[in-house]
Amino acid sequence: MAAVPKSIRTSARIVAAALVVIAQATAADTPRRVVSLVPATTEMLFAMGAGTIIAGVSSYDHYPPEVETLPKLGGLLDPNVERVLALKPDLAIVYSTQTELRQQLARAGIPVFPYVHRGLPDITTMIRSLGTRVGFGAQAGALADGIERRLGDIRARVAGRPRPKTLLVFGRQEGTLQDIDASGGYGFLHDMLDIAGGADAVGDIRRESVQMSTEMILARAPDVIIELHYGASLTPTRMESERHVWDTLGSIPAVRNGRVYLVLGNEYVVPGPRVAAATERLARLLHPDAFK
Amino acid sequence: MTIGGFGALAFLACLLAPLVGSTTIHLSRVFDRSIPFADNVDAQIFFVARLPRVLAAALVGSGLAVAGVVFQALLRNPLASPDTLGVSAGAALGAMLAITFHADFSLLSVSAVPLASFAGSLGALAIVYGLSAARRRGQSTMVLLLAGVTLTALLSAVVRFVQYLADFTETFQTVRWLMGSLDVAGYGPILAAAVPMAVAFVGFATLPRVLDLMSLGTEAAAARGVDVTRAERVALVSASLSTGAAVSLGGPVAFVGIIVPHLVRLIVGADHRLVLPASALFGAAFLIGCDLVARTALAPVELPVGIVTAIIGGPFFLWLLFRKA
Amino acid sequence: MSDAVLEAVGVSFAYERHGRLVLDSASLTVKPRTILGLLGPNGSGKTTLLRLIAGTLVPLSGRVTLDGADVRRLSRRDLARQIAVVPQETHTTFDFTVLDIVLMGRYPHLGAFELEGAADVAIAREALAATGTAELAARPFATLSGGEKQRVVIASALAQASSILLLDEPTASLDLGYQIEIATLLTRLNRDRGTTMVISTHDLNLAAALCSEVVLLRQGQVLARGATADVLTAAHVRTLYGVDADVQFHPRAGHVTVVPIARSV
Repeated sequence: MAAVPKSIRTSARIVAAALVVIAQATAADTPRRVVSLVPATTEMLFAMGAGTIIAGVSSYDHYPPEVETLPKLGGLLDPNVERVLALKPDLAIVYSTQTELRQQLARAGIPVFPYVHRGLPDITTMIRSLGTRVGFGAQAGALADGIERRLGDIRARVAGRPRPKTLLVFGRQEGTLQDIDASGGYGFLHDMLDIAGGADAVGDIRRESVQMSTEMILARAPDVIIELHYGASLTPTRMESERHVWDTLGSIPAVRNGRVYLVLGNEYVVPGPRVAAATERLARLLHPDAFK
Repeated sequence: MTIGGFGALAFLACLLAPLVGSTTIHLSRVFDRSIPFADNVDAQIFFVARLPRVLAAALVGSGLAVAGVVFQALLRNPLASPDTLGVSAGAALGAMLAITFHADFSLLSVSAVPLASFAGSLGALAIVYGLSAARRRGQSTMVLLLAGVTLTALLSAVVRFVQYLADFTETFQTVRWLMGSLDVAGYGPILAAAVPMAVAFVGFATLPRVLDLMSLGTEAAAARGVDVTRAERVALVSASLSTGAAVSLGGPVAFVGIIVPHLVRLIVGADHRLVLPASALFGAAFLIGCDLVARTALAPVELPVGIVTAIIGGPFFLWLLFRKA
Repeated sequence: MSDAVLEAVGVSFAYERHGRLVLDSASLTVKPRTILGLLGPNGSGKTTLLRLIAGTLVPLSGRVTLDGADVRRLSRRDLARQIAVVPQETHTTFDFTVLDIVLMGRYPHLGAFELEGAADVAIAREALAATGTAELAARPFATLSGGEKQRVVIASALAQASSILLLDEPTASLDLGYQIEIATLLTRLNRDRGTTMVISTHDLNLAAALCSEVVLLRQGQVLARGATADVLTAAHVRTLYGVDADVQFHPRAGHVTVVPIARSV
């Protein structure tokens, strides 16, 4: 040691000390008890292989099946703060709009990861940033790349084909044509439809949700109607009778040509890693011949 | 303005309203028999989208307006409405339960929500009727009024509880239902509502002079030869049937049952032999007009009709209060 | 018909089931073409007795008869054709005119969907003239003074063309001028039309002025009944009201007057 100059020894000590601090900081920052109040981020964590670090999920989580065994903590409107605190998490993923909850968690000294979602591109952005935050950066990157690749593939398959005017319905009073909600020209449902090669029948109305009156549907005359159903399951007979509710509007091309589809699955309300598969389902309905 | 004048107004409203809307249609195409109905967009807009709406508006407006007149006379209170005795709240609870628990039944082309709504209104009527029959001698109208107010409060609390149990989508649907919608897209629900409405109107036909007398007080009416108990029952049942049918068809459209009777009285006076038929006709025309505004004001997006009636009704109500004070 | 005898035979009434008896076996006979007074302090059962006679309340026991027949057997309409009631106060919920109110008195004479005809309007106008309110016909009832309203309500009762008129405290809320007006009117109607009247009042002097016979009620029971001069005595006033009063025939008024002096010990 006497042979090494004093300046180098000092620098080496400084660097070593710095490395220790960084290592400790990184270790402290890698969460090992994460609560996720957002179903999308729960799915993202599981998909990137980080399911083991999840300590609690929202009451509205249903996928993957492993979530059923995890503690339920409420959701956007009704988060159960006590239960969250009781789990002693080291990271809480909450909606960015849950200001009161965020304040309470800050007071308790629990780091918060705010979830923001405006459209489809936010999904892969969120996957990547969340992955980095929980120390699964590489896996998250791969997951996001895979989704983007698959979406690009769908886009390519339907490119150049005529886009059918599509009404994407996500709400309707059972058995009637009342209270029909369709996706407007904004939001991740609209983005999915766009990638899948459909033209949004109410795309000119820049809202996530558009309430459709009978007259509006008749006037827009969509070529395809896709109805999204999630939550309760529908028997095949029920699905048939719900499809035939649209027969009253016989003049619209979708009814005339038998292109009214009912799609089951809650991946359409959860903008998460299953978005690529969900988009492909839509694309197969719109352009079946592109997937032979 | 005579009854004939009101009749002409209602008739014109029914005739002209289907011609106006957010989409331009051509009457020549609408009635062009050579185009098969299933292909005729203009005809479909006219006969499937607009005409049922106008007829529903006429039925709902008429039913709520006359119910309002009858409740105001029955309760001797010019601020009474079809909502006062809890019938609307019962209908709302029925609809809410059907929406939240995804009720699956239907009867004669009428779906679960309107059926449950009507059942709810009948339930509320049964409770109020029972309470009114159990009244102490000599304490008539006040007990009825209090019973109705209490029932409304109770049912509203239950409605809120059911909303709490519902998930996001169900809550949104029920909130929308509460704002009223006349977009029935079919004649089945209209015919179904017309049946109890017709029964109610038969009852209404026996009431006009009796309501005049009852509005002086039950004893004054009895002293002039009115069978007060029977009259109260007929009034209560008819007005509740009419309200229940209207609410299950178009939702609880606010203010129609208060504004129309008052406006009509300003024009024809207090005699119920004029006020009742005039309110039926003006109520129809009024709601047809409000629905027209609702579906064209912010085209292509539609306003719930209850918002239009509230925008008109709110200031009107204030004016009425200040006028009386 | 104008000779019909209205009787209450041992009627009892309570407002609540198993509640306190407001009237206990009260009986009275209303002779045709007379004016009978019902006197007594508040809570003595005057108004209840009047309602029972009118048929708007049903007695717990006993019965009310018209010409011997129980009034409960009569339809409300038939009863209204024979007995009319002038309540203490009339509140209108809606903006009826004076003529509207008086025409409503024709209801018992009309069929189910019948409208008032020329004859009915004539009767209504005649009733207005008889009460001196003809020029008020088109005025909204709610805008009238107390005295005018009371006269219009009497006109409405007259339009019922009944032989018997029941009045509940007809002058209670009126000032002196109107009190005399109404008293004069009632006397005139009784004299000219032969209308039988039963007047419930706590105004002893009014009763003395109008009524040929009185019935004294005390805590739901008939204390005394008979000719006014005989029954309206200082002793009875003391028993009824706990007041020492001077009861004397007043030559200028033409009837007995009651002047309260002091509370009796």
